[in-house]
Amino acid sequence: MSDAGVMFPRKPRRIRGRSIAVIVFLAMAAMFFCVPLYVLIVTSFKDMDQIREGAIFSLPIRWTWEAWRFAWFDACSGLSCEGLQQGFWNSVVILVPSLIASIAVSMITGYALAIWDIKWAGPFLFLLFLTAFVPFQIIMYPLIRLTVMMGIYGSTTAIAFVHTVLAMPVLTLIFRNFYKDIPSDIIKAAIMDSGSFWRIFVEIILPLSGNILIVVLILQITSIWNDYLVGVTFGGLGTKPMTVHLANMVTVSTGTVSYNVNMAAALLTAIPPLVIYFVLGKFFVQGIAAGAIKG
Amino acid sequence: MRLRWSRLSPQLAMLPAVSITLIAFLGSIGWTILMSFTRSRRLPEYAVDWERPFRQYNRLFADAGWQISLTNLIVLALGSAMAIVFGFILAALIERERRGEDFFRTVFLYPLAVSLIVTGVAWRWIFNPQYGIQHVLQSMGWETAAFNWLNDPTTAMYAIIIASVWQSSGFYMALMLAGLKGINTEIWSAARLDGVGLFRVYFEIIIPMMKFTFLTCAILLSLGVIKAFDIILAMTNGGPGQSTWVPAYFTINAMANKGNLGYASAAATMMLAITLVVFLPLVLLTVWQQRAAKKGAI
Amino acid sequence: MPRVSFEHIVKRYGAVTVLDGLNLDVEDGDFLVLLGPSGCGKSTLLNLIAGLQDVSSGRIMIGDRDVTELDPKDRGLSMVFQSYALYPTKSVEGNLRFGLAARKLPKEEADKRIQWAADLLQLQPLMRRKPSELSGGQRQRVAIGRALVKHADVLLFDEPLSNLDAKLRSEMRLEIKKLHDTLNPTIIYVTHDQIEAMTMATKIAIMQDGEIQQFGTPDDVYENPANLFVASFIGSPAMNLSPARLELKAGNATATFGDGTQLSLVGATFDHAVQAGRDIMVGMRPEHFIMDATGTADGHSMLQLPVIMVERTGSDALISLDFVGEHLFVRAEPDRAARTKTGETVSVHYPTAKLNLFDAQTGLRL
Repeated sequence: MSDAGVMFPRKPRRIRGRSIAVIVFLAMAAMFFCVPLYVLIVTSFKDMDQIREGAIFSLPIRWTWEAWRFAWFDACSGLSCEGLQQGFWNSVVILVPSLIASIAVSMITGYALAIWDIKWAGPFLFLLFLTAFVPFQIIMYPLIRLTVMMGIYGSTTAIAFVHTVLAMPVLTLIFRNFYKDIPSDIIKAAIMDSGSFWRIFVEIILPLSGNILIVVLILQITSIWNDYLVGVTFGGLGTKPMTVHLANMVTVSTGTVSYNVNMAAALLTAIPPLVIYFVLGKFFVQGIAAGAIKG
Repeated sequence: MRLRWSRLSPQLAMLPAVSITLIAFLGSIGWTILMSFTRSRRLPEYAVDWERPFRQYNRLFADAGWQISLTNLIVLALGSAMAIVFGFILAALIERERRGEDFFRTVFLYPLAVSLIVTGVAWRWIFNPQYGIQHVLQSMGWETAAFNWLNDPTTAMYAIIIASVWQSSGFYMALMLAGLKGINTEIWSAARLDGVGLFRVYFEIIIPMMKFTFLTCAILLSLGVIKAFDIILAMTNGGPGQSTWVPAYFTINAMANKGNLGYASAAATMMLAITLVVFLPLVLLTVWQQRAAKKGAI
Repeated sequence: MPRVSFEHIVKRYGAVTVLDGLNLDVEDGDFLVLLGPSGCGKSTLLNLIAGLQDVSSGRIMIGDRDVTELDPKDRGLSMVFQSYALYPTKSVEGNLRFGLAARKLPKEEADKRIQWAADLLQLQPLMRRKPSELSGGQRQRVAIGRALVKHADVLLFDEPLSNLDAKLRSEMRLEIKKLHDTLNPTIIYVTHDQIEAMTMATKIAIMQDGEIQQFGTPDDVYENPANLFVASFIGSPAMNLSPARLELKAGNATATFGDGTQLSLVGATFDHAVQAGRDIMVGMRPEHFIMDATGTADGHSMLQLPVIMVERTGSDALISLDFVGEHLFVRAEPDRAARTKTGETVSVHYPTAKLNLFDAQTGLRL
């Protein structure tokens, strides 16, 4: 039947006018979204003389790392003038235990609630669901007193503790929803082979958790890194995270404001989560979706 | 198949979560509510002020700052709702066009990965009267361009709304995009064969089909608005004057700057009350709708 | 009702050619079933006529109109989808009305048509319900109603019964058949289910790899399959196909099988002149065998074969015989099958006129 050659040839459909309109609109929206990042970047590479000319969108005449160097090593945040580097390392030191504690607690709780028969699992899940809505302010002061009583107030441990508390309800629901969908045959087989809570967790559940673990990890890294309120409330003089240093740097500047340094400092704070976002964007989107199921 | 609740390990494993729920959440909430009925100032006093138990609340509602906070809460909620509309439009366009989906999604979503403190720095810089967008527009010939919004009590809230719409639109876009992709493609084909106009398909078929997604977005938006603190701090620090105070900012200010525990507790309790009043109906509606949908689906 | 023709249709997805110069004519009032395994291009063909996809080259005519470049809504056809694609937020009535409203039909006319479709399909008690409150069969009827109210010239069906259970499926088959008999629209119906094709179609087009293997009436494709693919695809239980060599014995055409068994082909019909020594495939339908016939009547070939297995399927029974080391399935009456024991030898006759002979190389009917 293919002997006819091409009869009634059709021109391939050109991109239609409507398509062009859609792409133009999306491109304009994309530009709007890029504006803040763009001005941050160009300003951070300008020198103050050019900034005073007031052309916020123009490219640097002379690209200079000076503002970045200053923001990292010398900028003043409050009374100390050691730059953002101290805040950066504080954030790293906060991040690690916060991640481990918050994920470990929620993961095991989610596992117990999803797989093991717990009589009050239903009401407890509902309670967790409600606590996910509780405004932080209403538990803030009692948590301050609690950490003081525990003797950890002002330390990295206190910040990690509070992050664990705040993340627990949502993360537990995420893990529980994920584990609930594991085929029950696998669990049955596991019970036949070993009835032990921890062995099933380590040998069956943990290896199945790869995907959800990355999703939650990214969700938590960005939210802990970007946190301000917990850090400023529970951190001590030397343990406050990078966001707090940044906020102090840009608000409590004395004398002339070095806008280029402020922008460089803001970018330095934003870089770690942005890198994760651009590299692992797929999981980031999944995390958003998972975090939203609770609603 | 669920395992028997017969061993020690599961109970031990639940211990941290249960104690966090009981102590850090329920206990703390109870404690704060108790404080709101006492005359506590810098340090807690546990005796309830039986003579005038609502003295903190009376003071609160007489406080101009609290009234501003409540008004701003509504303004912020209505303004931020634009993010849902904007997010839906973006998602619908991306879903129609397909070309460049990954690129646009990445661009629209990146603000969510950045700290609100950073967002504040960027937008304050754009709104900077001396060197920011106002100056650019004026030097381009638009002499009367006025974008000094952050220093004007009547416009500061709008600047905050723009920043928060910028920050959260991508989030709603991602949720909407997931919702749109869940729609049976044959529905679109059927509508095409029926010759139904695109706007009618969206308004009469697609948007009603996505009501769960919209409800979810509304719940998350209200939650975000009532918790809004970082963005206020980073954009205006409450100023000029008290013009951009919101309940979350008011409460922390009462605690940290004024050192008035009873007063702050009353404000925090009101925040919880607002949460309950706003969210419980929304959440119950969603749950009820989902039940109904499940029952209908057979 | 107009005729529909596909002329030299080519459809490519990038480098992959799904349809390559396909031609097909559907007569006015035909019930055409496009039948084939998944991936054979039948759904693509349906989407092309619906206008949901564009042809790479070729022409689609409905009546005298070239619809190839027209928008789906302007082609004068309606479609019933596999998932029904009912608008979930609209009531049954809303579903029927939505497409009419889009055509700016006067309200009285729309009401009349909806009334008519509701009566025809017994939708009257369901009009206010939402699709989620309907059973599968009811949804199916609403979807058909939605297609009918448009009074389209051509009705398209895309595997509409595949989501129903067996009992509902046979009910709906009858209902659709009845609909075609009363309204007599031109129907193009896509399915992979041969029973649907055999029971409803006036014409069947059997497709594989984007090509039409055979186009004809159900009887035609069943009794005279054009090639080996059609022979093996149509029929359940499937046709027995055994390789053999065509030979001339005393002037008579004979099929010689691998173990030397010979089958006389006297009385078999040949469409083409064939030479002796050719490799052929001999096809025998299980239901054409006659058991326990005595003697060798003219026009019959007799085989005596050992029984491997007896299967009862309820109203029928299948006896599988050992024929040249392969299973040869023979349909039998259940009580005859009950008397048959594994291992015993039975004699069966096959009417040579009903033999299907194919060229082993080309697969084409001889």
